[in-house]
Formats: sequence, structure tokens, C-alpha cells
Amino acid sequence: MRVTLTVNGRPYERDVDEHHTLLSLLRDGLGLTGTKEGCAAGECGACTVFLNGETVNSCMVLAAEADGATVQTVEGEAAGGELSPIQQALARHQAVQCGFCTGGMVMSIRELLARKPQPSVEDIKEGIEGNFCRCTGYQQIIEAVLDVSGQLTPATKGELKHV
Amino acid sequence: MTQFKYRAPLARAELLDLIAQHEAVRILAGGTDLLVDVRNGFARPEVVVDIKRVDGLRDIKMRPSDAALVIGAAATINDVLRSEAIREGYPLLAACAEDLASYQIRNRATVVGNIVNASPCSDMAPGLLCLQANVVVSSQRGERVVPLHQFFTGVKKTVLEHDEVLERIVVPAQNAGARGGYRKLKRIKGHDLGIVGVALFELDGCLRLGISSAAPTPVLVDGLSTDMPADEIVAAARAAISPISDVRCSAEYRAFMVETYVRRLLNELVEVA
Amino acid sequence: MSELVANEQLTVVGKDVPRLEAADKLTGAAQYASDLVLPGMLHAKIKGSPHARAKILRIDTSKAEKLVGVHAVLTGHDLDYKLGLYVVDKDIIAKDEVRHYGEAVAAVAAETADIAARALELIDVEYEPLPPVLNHVAALAPDAPLVHPNLGEYGYVEAAFTPQPGSNVANLSKLRKGDVEKGFAEAEWIIEREYTNPSVQHVPMETHVTVAEWRVGDDVTIWSSAQSPFTVRNLFCYAFKLPLNKVRVIIPHVGGGFGGKAGIHLEPLAACLSRKAGGRPVKLQATREEEFSLLPCRSALTYRIKTGVRADGRIVAQQMTMFWDAGAYADYAVNVTRASGYSAAGPYDIPNAWLDAYTIYTNKPYGTAYRGFGHVEFFWGLERHMQLVAEAIGMDPLDFRRKNLLYPGSRTLTGETITEHTGNPRKCLDVVAESIGYGSLTAEEYEYERRTGHKIGKGVATLHKAPAMPPFTGTATVVKMNSDGTVLVNLSLTEIGQGSATALAQIAAERLRFPIEKVKVTIEKDTDRDPYDWQTVASKGLILSGNATVLACDDLLKHAYADAAQILRAEAIDLDHDGEKIFLKHRPDQSVTFAELAIGYAYPDGNAIGGPLVGVGRYVAQGLSNLDKETGQGLPALDWTYGAHGVIVDVDPVTGEFSVRKIASVFDVGKAVNPGLVRGQCIGGMIQGLGTALCEGYIYDEQGRLLNPSFTDNKIPTAKDLPDEIESIVVETPQLDGPYGARGVGEHPMISVAPAIGNAIHQALGVELLHMPIRAEDVWRAMHEKEPIDNWITKSPAGHCRSVKVG
Repeated sequence: MRVTLTVNGRPYERDVDEHHTLLSLLRDGLGLTGTKEGCAAGECGACTVFLNGETVNSCMVLAAEADGATVQTVEGEAAGGELSPIQQALARHQAVQCGFCTGGMVMSIRELLARKPQPSVEDIKEGIEGNFCRCTGYQQIIEAVLDVSGQLTPATKGELKHV
Repeated sequence: MTQFKYRAPLARAELLDLIAQHEAVRILAGGTDLLVDVRNGFARPEVVVDIKRVDGLRDIKMRPSDAALVIGAAATINDVLRSEAIREGYPLLAACAEDLASYQIRNRATVVGNIVNASPCSDMAPGLLCLQANVVVSSQRGERVVPLHQFFTGVKKTVLEHDEVLERIVVPAQNAGARGGYRKLKRIKGHDLGIVGVALFELDGCLRLGISSAAPTPVLVDGLSTDMPADEIVAAARAAISPISDVRCSAEYRAFMVETYVRRLLNELVEVA
Repeated sequence: MSELVANEQLTVVGKDVPRLEAADKLTGAAQYASDLVLPGMLHAKIKGSPHARAKILRIDTSKAEKLVGVHAVLTGHDLDYKLGLYVVDKDIIAKDEVRHYGEAVAAVAAETADIAARALELIDVEYEPLPPVLNHVAALAPDAPLVHPNLGEYGYVEAAFTPQPGSNVANLSKLRKGDVEKGFAEAEWIIEREYTNPSVQHVPMETHVTVAEWRVGDDVTIWSSAQSPFTVRNLFCYAFKLPLNKVRVIIPHVGGGFGGKAGIHLEPLAACLSRKAGGRPVKLQATREEEFSLLPCRSALTYRIKTGVRADGRIVAQQMTMFWDAGAYADYAVNVTRASGYSAAGPYDIPNAWLDAYTIYTNKPYGTAYRGFGHVEFFWGLERHMQLVAEAIGMDPLDFRRKNLLYPGSRTLTGETITEHTGNPRKCLDVVAESIGYGSLTAEEYEYERRTGHKIGKGVATLHKAPAMPPFTGTATVVKMNSDGTVLVNLSLTEIGQGSATALAQIAAERLRFPIEKVKVTIEKDTDRDPYDWQTVASKGLILSGNATVLACDDLLKHAYADAAQILRAEAIDLDHDGEKIFLKHRPDQSVTFAELAIGYAYPDGNAIGGPLVGVGRYVAQGLSNLDKETGQGLPALDWTYGAHGVIVDVDPVTGEFSVRKIASVFDVGKAVNPGLVRGQCIGGMIQGLGTALCEGYIYDEQGRLLNPSFTDNKIPTAKDLPDEIESIVVETPQLDGPYGARGVGEHPMISVAPAIGNAIHQALGVELLHMPIRAEDVWRAMHEKEPIDNWITKSPAGHCRSVKVG
């Protein structure tokens, strides 16, 4: 089946197998490998992208369903050769380790901040709940989101304590 | 993944026609259960029919004739959480929706899918059972209305015929404004299937319980009232369930937690009142 | 190893330098093995066994071979090679008998993944199911069926291990210190318990993946998600009898390892498929389900501890028996057994100790290295035991621990003498106790208890660990200067998320006295181009590669100074340098820049001296020895990192549900080279430890089928599962032979989270939790003294032992 879609502002046209997912179209069809497959079962969120403005697990969406859709992936996040404020905050707070969950995590953070520009810690936890990260323990990611939303205080700014 | 044909009808008639034409056909709404089943080989459809392009199916609205709440087959869990009508009139439904899976899944998973899937651990069923929801089932042969408590026939089994689609859920207006809540036991605080789930509904002294993950199907416990002693209500709940032991929990603890949650939800009613 | 430098003199080490490869990871540009696409690449899939133990009576692959698009089909009998890290016991594909659920029985490489999947369905396998060996303690019985009847014919590393043919024992490690019988005779109390934990999966977000190309002429290139490129290469060549220069292993970005990617896994199978397909590259990536069942897990442990204590709280004797469940193959489990054995008493001074540690074959997915290398498992038992012993003798558990902690002058189980430079376990424990307000409730906590009816509990647990590695572990670093004066650092410690590349860049920059921007540590590793490193495991990377990097920088500077001395017509001793140039100390205006020296210095007339500046640093662990097989005495530990966790829990005393309010951790890291990265390790490990404590573990049915090989029923912590408060603290007692005093802390944060939680719940409710994970139902059952649910198959037939007061 022929699908046309817009990904990160660029139009694409591809023939897709009707049983293939949006994730495989992005990775294998369009070469956008920043979106990762972690479980292929809608549990881990490594494949999170925006589909028509809503975050989805792209492993749980058929490529055919994206016909005519607008998709945003992590590759579209850094505009004009500069890391976005979200990406910069994640780097600043050492909120990236192996990096495999990072693309999906960036998408969920972008969605959360669009919905709640000043999210509470509970909001942030809720917003990234669907993105597993096995490395960081999430805390530095939460601090990065507080920072990028202008809410970092001495109390929420996590630091390694020396005694 | 099994190969299948994908069809996305734009009109209701085309949808009903496609379902009637094919034997191995599965309906795709959110896809969050179906695509997992296909990947695991539990479902091997030849045709998958995407209903999301059929006009009006994603609507959540009040029916003008009787003010009943109508939830279309493509309405997502997050649509429910965003719906003012539901937040104000049916907060119990919002409570059930809130703890269902992750945000991304709630953007795709549908209320109707959560019902049609007929999993014992459905999160939406306990609330909808309490609210005396009816489901409207359509086929080329016409439409029929089935009370939700008669819809489930076993684990992953319903009264749906192969040519039928559950088109919408209708919640009667008389149950708007009810009090209550939903408690779900999980293994982690993050997204997880329920080990048990209990919904409590109270309106004008009338009590109902909806219970998930404690029997082959979600269970409705009806005919209770605020006049009854708590022990009697708990006993009614206990009598209605038949929990099993599995990888998530023992039958013994499931039964205990259902009883405890019923008791606690009753206490909350009293405290709030 | 390098002289210690005062904090105020450090310019790069100790600073929060952002991760070198952060931008690549944040933009999706970082390429992982799973992203790799090569021209002509085939896709492989594996058919797994539905049985835990069965004879393979017949495999018919004829239909699969005829399917259009299939290029290679393999079964066990096509491959006459054995693999193994320490005991060479594993076929690449099961031959004649399957030994665990999910084991490979056939594999296919085809033009697309869809075709490969269809081909698998066309392969018919006829099995004769056999009674599986599931309980590892029962597997020691003389009449138990043998998982490996041919154990006596397998090769193994004789210096370290002792497999016992004719039994299911893959290894027995022993340790004898002092006279345990005499010690028990002096004890007023003898307390004995048995603690258990199930097998657990590492869950790297990237499942194991490899792309292999075995070309005609036996030149092999392997791209893999492996942690240790040289281990993959060396074991591959050993199995296939190839010279080491025929096989090249390349490691791009790795999506998490945690020990599960430390050995050799999918690489041989992918390579064999490639060879059969005429040399086309073959990609083989595990599904998440295969990650749980085909690839290895962490071993289950049953740990029996018998402790003799004097009335004053001093431990006088301890007898420890470990029953490690290897699963179907020995892999790392035998070495986990050895390393846990010599650490088994924790950071305590035990004058008389006796330990037997068994590694036992069963018909379950096999165990391997997992962050902590046995210590997460045995510290569950050990630190719960310390709590129970303290309670039994009527002493506060914190005081009891303090009374028995190692101190300078103590001897460890293997006879190593602790010094004041070894690290400070006492300070770790004291600081963590203070951090959680151990021993009392705050007004807020008291009020919360009163309002909710919940119980607040506070618990602590100590930990220690040394790198588990051969005594002769070595590594090397090569530092190369570019013609603009920037440098490139090549070494083979892989960057799997732990941040070593950044920390090593800091060490190089500090040692060279260059700004960090001038230093690049390469991320991709290549056995053809990078110098040898043993493995990326064991929290040894920072010390060993850090030291090698210091030496490499010194070597580079030595060459640069020699050239500069000639150019400036001065003695090298009169020279100094900054980030740009080498100059005369007494006439700083006379200088030569590194850029001028970098590829050979050219005089104005075209004459040149020197040549490209390259520094080489070699480092090998110093002074370590093999352990005596009968007594376990020797020096196995490069360094010890001590630490402690403190936990505050909020428990519902009716349902057993609990939530963690706070976790505090303290580690003696020697020197935090990059505080933000150290904190990342501390919190990441803590939350991984929380998963182990709360919800993770393999659940089997009675036939040995794994019932939860996916995220549906094997949950891991999400952001919502974080404690309300996290505190991450370090103590810095410099390690004299560590780079800038640093020691490793990669694994430690995962250790002892579970017993700290168990101890906190114990303190709140007085319940004896003996197995982990601790699910709400487990707490509820313990409160009501109901038998624990044993779907993990870890409890021994001997059952639990009770505490006994002697005399």
C-alpha cells in the first residue's frame, strides 16, 4: 500500500507492507533510526513519536494508519543545527546514559511541556511513565524538565553531596 | 507478524460490509491489544479494519433525546479524561481511565477496545458496569442493545457475532452525578495491569460494585444500598468473585484485597459525606 | 598510582563535564548495532524450545530451506563447536537435548525478517519431553537427573574452578578462615536462616544484537552490542580455532549492558549463518521475549547463613553456604560464585569463617554477570541476616553493624589486611543513618502514622564489592596527537552508558594539563585498531583504564618534551607546558607549540625531527593472586568500594502495600571524577536495585516454562516508582593506586537496596522477610505467618531454619 506522510516537516511517499508498523517504516523505510524498538509491545516507550500531534508508541501503529499523517521524531527536535532547550537541559543534568530510551523520552517531555508548561514533579513522573529508562533512574531527567520549565530551585536541583 | 490486509473504510456502511464479508477479520481501533496479539501469534487475521476514519466514531457526547452519555468506538482513554461531560457527570469513569496504562497508550487505546477485548482485568469495565452502561452492537443485520453486564461470556469472550461491531457505549443519564471511586492494586506504581480493581458507585443510597481481575469476566455486584452493613456488602462482593492464583498474585490475596478495597471505598463515602 | 593532587589544584577531574557523546544520543544520531544496515544484509531468526528439558528426536528443515528468500538454515548438528567462558559446556544451537525453555533449536537467515519468521514456522521439531531439573538445591541430590552427563569431558579454567563430573555441580568454591567450630563454641547465640532470590533479567533497553560477516577465506567481521570486544573475539576464535588476526569485532554505541552483554552471545550463531549464506552479512537481534529466555539472566540464589555471636554483639563465627542456580550453562555463574564467595561476609570482621559456594546446573535459562556480580543477591541475605541477628540478641541493628565492621588492621575472608586507605565503611554507614534520621520518627512522620494508621520504618544496609577479575587483568591506552594539538584517546573500555569515556577524557585532560575540549575519547571500539582491554565489567574500568590513560599521557608528554628540548636547546627538566605549548620555565617566551610538534617538527629549512606524537600506557592489576582452592586464601581484590543504603518506608499494616519515601546512599568512591556522572550511576543503580527489591524475577510453571518473559508480567520501575526523596552522597578516601584516588562505583549502587527496604519493613512491622522481591502480598503473608508463595523455585527442600540460643 502506498502511503504519503510528513515527517519532521518533510513529505515522504513509500510503499509499505500493510502489516508493518509505523516504527518499521520510520527506521527501515525512511532511515530515521533515532526512534528505537525496545519491546515491540507498547510497554517501554523507546519508539515514542508524535502522530498528528499526539504521542504514540510507533510499534503499536500500523504504517498504513499513518497515511496522510504528520509525524515528528527525535530527529526533528534540534532545529537549525542547535540542540533544543529540552535536549540542552538533558545534557546539562547528565540525564542521558546509554541513550537508547532518549529519543522517545525527548518526545514525551515535549508533549508534556506543550500540555503543561510548568509541570509539577508528579506531572513529570506521569508524563514520562510510559518511557522506560534502565540506566538513569529518572531523577536527573526529572530535574532537567524542571530546569527547562524554569522551575529549578535549590531544593529541586539535585547534586552529589560530598561529606 | 502475520501478514494481513489493511482496510480503512470512511463510511459506516462500508465498515459493516467489510466485517460481514470476511471470516478472519479484526477491528483496529487503538491497536494496543490487537497488534500485540498479532505479534504474539494469538490473533491471525486476514483483514484488519481500521474504524478510525469512519465519521463520528471518536465522539463522546450527550444524546440530545435523553441526555445519555454516548462514547463512540474510536474514542480514546485520553478523550475520556479530556471530556468535560465525563469529568463532571461521570467522575467514576475518569477514575478508571486515569490509571489505565501509560500516556502514550491512553492516546491510542479506546474505551470500546478495553470492553471488546473482554479481559478480566479491564479497567473501564468496573466503572461502566456500575453505571449500567449498554453497548450498541451493529451489523448489516441491524442494531442491538446489550446491557454491559450481559456482554461478557468468559475470558476474552463476548456475545459479539463475527459480523458485528461494538459501535458505541451508552451510559444512562439517570446515573450522572453518582459518587464513588476506583481502586486498583498493581505491582508497581507505574503502568501495570490490575491485580484486582474495584469500582464503587453510590447514588441516592443505591450502591453498586464493579470488580475486575477477580473472575473470568469483570463482575457487577448490584442491588446493594447504603443502608446495608459494610460486612454484608463485603460478603456480597466476596460471593460474586471467583479469583484464581497466577503469576501476579494468589487467589487468597486477591479475595482479601477485593474485600479490603470495598471496605475502604465504603469508608471514603462516609468520610466525604 | 599517580600522586594525589589536592582538590583545588585539579582543573578537570572532579568537575561536572557534560557527557562527550550526549548530542549524538539526544538527536538520534548515535548509531547502535541495532541501527546497522549493510548492503546485502540478511535477517536471522531463532526457533526456541518450548520445553525446559527434552530430547530432540527429529528436526525437519526441508520446507524452510525451500522457501524463496531463505539463504541459510542451521540446526545443532550443523555446528560442531563448544562455547564457554570458564566451563566449555554450550553448543551454539542445542544438539540432541534442549536444556532450557527458549533455547535455540534452529536458526534461519533470510532476505527479510518476515521470510525468516515464515521459515521458522516451516521447521518441524519432534521432542520427547524429559523431567526437568528445576530446584537447584534438589539438583544436588545423588539421584537427581544430570543436566550435563558429559561434564567430565568439558574443558574449564583449572586455576579458578572445580566442576564435579557425575553431579550437577559446575563449581564449588571454598573458603576457610580461622576455626569456625572453635568460634561457635565461644558463641552465646547461634542464629541461622536461609534467604532466597529468583533469577532476574538485566533488561537493557537495547536487546542483544549482532551483525556478522564470515567471508570466504575465514575473515570475519562482527558488529555487536557486546560490552567486551576482545572477549567476543578471543572466545570466538577459540571456538572456531581461528587465529586472532582473522576476526575483527566492532562495538558501536551500546544500549545498556549491566553485565548481560559481557560475554559472547549471539555472535557465533550470526557468523555461522553468514558463512552458510556465502558471506553475506547477517543481522540477529533478540526479541524482548528472547532477551528473557534465550539470553542469560542473573542466577537465583539460596543463601544459608549461620552466625555465632557473643552476648556483647561481637560475631565470632560464621558458616555460609551458597547455592547458586547456574541454569543450563555455567557461563559467568561459576565466577559469580567465586567472587561472591570471597566477599560473602560483607564489610565485617569475622574471625572464624567457613564457606561452601556451589554453582548448580538446572534446566532453566542460564545465569550470567549482572551489575553487582552476585553481591545484590547475597547481600539480600547477609544484610537481612544482620538485622535478624541483632534483633535476636536484643541489640540495635545499627549498633550491631558498627560493632562488627571492618577496621584498619582487620583481615578479610581471604586474608587481605585492611588499611586506612582501603576505604571507610563506618563513615558510609554513619552518614546514611543520619540522612534518614535512623532510630526515631520526625514529628511529621509521627503525625502521618497517627493520621493514616500506616507504619513508617527505617532501615540500613551496608555493602562492599571489589572487581571480580583474573589477577592478571590488563589494559592499554593509546593517546595520539593531531596536528592542531588536539588529542585522540583510543582504548577498549566500551561506553555502555556508564560515562567512562567522559571520565577518561577528564583524566587525560587533567594529566596533559589540556582543556577538556582538546581531548576526544573514541566511542566506537574496534579490536583491529584499539589496544587490548580485558572486559568492560566489574567496576574496574575507571581504575585500570584510568591508570593506563595517565601513563599514556605521560608517555606522550615525554616524547613531546624530548623533541622540545632539542628544538629549544635545553634540558627537558627545564621545560614546562600549558595547553598550547612547551616553554622554558625561566624564559617562557621561548616555546614550541604542541601543534608544531604533533606530527614531527619541521625547521624553516625543511629539516625535521621527532615524528607523530603517540603515547602508550599499559597497566596491569598489581599484586593479585589466585585463591587457594581449599581455603580461598589469597589476594583477589584490586580495590574495595564500601557503601551503605538507608531507606524510609511507609507500610500499610493491613494490606502489606508499601511505598518507599526515601533512599539515601553513601559510597566511598575515593575521588568523584565527574560528580554528575557519579550521581547518575548512584541513582540509576539504586532504582535498578529497587526493581530487584520490589517486582522483578523469573516465574516458572512446574514444567520449567518461563511464565513472564515480557514487560506484561515482568515489570521494571518507571518514573512513578521513584522514592519521594533520593539522596546521593560520597565519601572520598583516596585509593592510593587509583587515578587521582578514584575507585569504581558502577555496580555498587544496586547492591543492598533490597535488604535496606526489607530491614525498614521489618522495623515497621516486625516481619521476617526472607525472600525477595518483596511484593505487597509477600509482606501480607509474612504478617500473617503464611507460607511464602514459591513460584520462583528458590526455596530449598530443607526449608527455613529458626534461631537457636545455645547454652
